[in-house]
Amino acid sequence: MTLHSPSRNTPDRMNLPFSGKAIRPILVSFPIAYFTAAFVTDLAYWQTADVMWESFSDWLITAGLVTAGFAVMVFVIDLVLGKRSRALAWPHAVGYVLAVLLSLLNAFVHSRDGYTAVVPTGLTLSALVVAILFITGWAGRALIAHHREGADL
Amino acid sequence: MMRILKITHSATWPRLAIVAIVGLGLAGCYDNGGDPKIQIGANPVLPPLQQYLIPPIRIAKVVPWANETPTVPHGLQVQALATDFEHPRSVYVLPNGDVLVVEGNGPEAPIHRPKDLVTGWVQWFAGAKGKGGNRITLLRDTNGDGIPDVRTVFLDHLNSPFGVALVGQDFYVANTDAIVRYPYQEGQTSISAPGTKLTDLPGGPIDHHWTKSLLASLDGSKLYVGVGSNSNITENGIQAEYERAAVWEVDRASGAHRIFASGLRNPTGLAWEPETRKLWAVVNERDEIGPDLVPDYLTSVQDGAFYGWPYSYYGQHLDPRVQPQRPDLVARAIAPDYALSSHVAPLGVAMYAGADFPASYRGGAFVSEHGSWDRSPLNGYKVVFVPFSGGRPSGPAQDVVTGFLDANNQARGRPVGLAVDRSGGLLIADDLANIVWRVSSKRSEPSQDAAESK
Repeated sequence: MTLHSPSRNTPDRMNLPFSGKAIRPILVSFPIAYFTAAFVTDLAYWQTADVMWESFSDWLITAGLVTAGFAVMVFVIDLVLGKRSRALAWPHAVGYVLAVLLSLLNAFVHSRDGYTAVVPTGLTLSALVVAILFITGWAGRALIAHHREGADL
Repeated sequence: MMRILKITHSATWPRLAIVAIVGLGLAGCYDNGGDPKIQIGANPVLPPLQQYLIPPIRIAKVVPWANETPTVPHGLQVQALATDFEHPRSVYVLPNGDVLVVEGNGPEAPIHRPKDLVTGWVQWFAGAKGKGGNRITLLRDTNGDGIPDVRTVFLDHLNSPFGVALVGQDFYVANTDAIVRYPYQEGQTSISAPGTKLTDLPGGPIDHHWTKSLLASLDGSKLYVGVGSNSNITENGIQAEYERAAVWEVDRASGAHRIFASGLRNPTGLAWEPETRKLWAVVNERDEIGPDLVPDYLTSVQDGAFYGWPYSYYGQHLDPRVQPQRPDLVARAIAPDYALSSHVAPLGVAMYAGADFPASYRGGAFVSEHGSWDRSPLNGYKVVFVPFSGGRPSGPAQDVVTGFLDANNQARGRPVGLAVDRSGGLLIADDLANIVWRVSSKRSEPSQDAAESK
């Protein structure tokens, strides 16, 4: 799951100052990693009913939301400063926003006490988030590959 | 919840997901509790179980008493016995009439989940984070005017103490992690001798329900200890619940213990019923499955009985939050005797065997309802009286001491420990206002301005 675009090293991009352009792709990757890991720890909890895994999921989803918050902040700063020079890769963007919103919902589900913090709703949401990220990530890459546009998420 | 998920599968899911998220903010507000009266007594109405994204919550704003006092029915009066404590939780009366006030609060809770941070803020807003004195203060009234004129530190440097008991010349303190014995001579106003540990009790590092209630058997050979669960509903793992959510019977000579009764989520107050001489307890039940679940209760504690927690409540009502379930235990889970309604948080019980109050109060149980933030509208924040007849509750609970919430539902105080003093007055520890209140019959009391002692 990567959001690197083929146009990443084009000269116009290389000349931009160190702002959102360089840091945003990194920031955007963190929540994806956290949410995917939370799905894995949810699966582990489902299989073992060991609360350690549920606790891991809680922190992973929270960390994913916090880093997503940073990514959004950088995105908004870029918008305000008028540094957005190219169109968004829409499948990426829509999928990403949806995954973050569902993860926010998932954080509340995971704040429940005991087994129903994960099974079945939390686990379902975690799986859905991972599915959305992979499908839209793949669709976005395909789109980029086709149009040779920048994945400027 | 499943409904929201189903919606998100449709074509318009981004928009609907946003609506669902906005709806989260409201999730905690729409579910108001019903009339608590239908949940008082032997057969409480139990609504279907709900699960939430944000459980219903209502924090009462904390305001001072100023010069006001709690409210009592006609024929009774209330005054502040003493003020300026550090989180007074229990009161205990020594044979010579001295009153002990146990001042303590729980140890710092560890942060295991992001939710623990939120819980900490809620407790802070509700004024429940007051620093505990970790000590016991002695109050003595030498001239018999009902107002203590001697005040000393009886015992200091304790570890989140709650229950205390005197048997002969042995004074026991139930710290959160151990029962400690101290030598006591009648008339003593402070103990400087070092304590001797009788037995360890389940303490940290989690120590979710930290209070350990304590009651000596009538013959003095045993100590009964109320040990609360280490979680709301096993979210810290079933391993963390070892020998918790139970009433222990501790042998006073050897310190050995056995589980007298289990499945009692948080048995915060223990008392002997005076007629049948049976053990009774007030118990705090589980949260976050609805404003009217699960009713807290007052019950006789039967030797060897299992009362459901965590697997079920009120008999065989299963809790889906607990996995793996234990059908073998659920099958023999018994329902408690008397529901007090939901989220009232009973923290103290005193069977009234005094002579001061009107005859209708004799033999019944006073129960202090600390109140909680787990329900809207608020429930509890008062001391109620449950009449007894033939050793069993015999009628609906009556409000006796109210006014802990003001007209705007702001909390002025929260009642915790109860005790009956030597002249029959009811003592109430108020851990929000740091006051000990005394309720007595109007005719037998020398005229005192309630505000005077403040």
